[in-house]
Amino acid sequence: MTEATDPAVLETTIRAAIVVVSALCVFCSYRVIRGPTDPDRVVALDAIATNVVAIAVLFAIQTDRGLFLTVSLVLAIIAFIATVAVAKFVTEGEVIE
Amino acid sequence: MTTVIMRTTARVIVPIILVVAVTLFVEGHNLPGGGFIGGVLTTTAFAVIYLAFGLDFLERGVLGRDVEPGKEPSRDRVVVAYRRLFEYGLAIAVLSGLVPLLFDRPFLTQTFVELEGVPIYDHVELASAVAFDLGVYCVVVGGLLTILSVVGAE
Repeated sequence: MTEATDPAVLETTIRAAIVVVSALCVFCSYRVIRGPTDPDRVVALDAIATNVVAIAVLFAIQTDRGLFLTVSLVLAIIAFIATVAVAKFVTEGEVIE
Repeated sequence: MTTVIMRTTARVIVPIILVVAVTLFVEGHNLPGGGFIGGVLTTTAFAVIYLAFGLDFLERGVLGRDVEPGKEPSRDRVVVAYRRLFEYGLAIAVLSGLVPLLFDRPFLTQTFVELEGVPIYDHVELASAVAFDLGVYCVVVGGLLTILSVVGAE
């Protein structure tokens, strides 16, 4: 922490960021429900997972508790595997050969 | 066939996932984590290997055994090893719960010792819950990998 960082400014910024990222989750869920094709839905779900990772990190900063970083790490790994599996299913028709 | 990009990514990401899994397993007795999520992440690492290299890679490429291509996957020696891991994990979990009964304590009573002056770490907290966690870990890894390799071959 540098001296220039005002705690009040940081607090406000994090709250605003959480609201923005949550709104992005809602917008992505529209694409999940209405998405014309399956790849659209997969990309939207991947974006939602990334947003939830961002929410976890912001919450870790806000509450000053490092354990939420573990949450974001595990969630990022699971989201990566899920996206890769669906991408392979879309291109090749089978997940594990 | 998977692309070179997927295979290279798998080589990088599998060790990272395994390290995270071990971290979660070790810190599980007093922080979020423990046997279940460690086992799930280990299974995830194996899932990446299966996705990138195919079902036969573990037996043929890593262990160096010959595999007949059309064989029943549930007869594979790797799958037999997964099932054995499941059984051993269940035995470890039950036995670790029964040990406190020898000392006239209730079933699954846990305790811990604090070791001082350990090299590198200096202060180490050794919890008996790690034994039960190890059982849960083995059950989760064995069960999920059996499901993954048998159902994945369908």
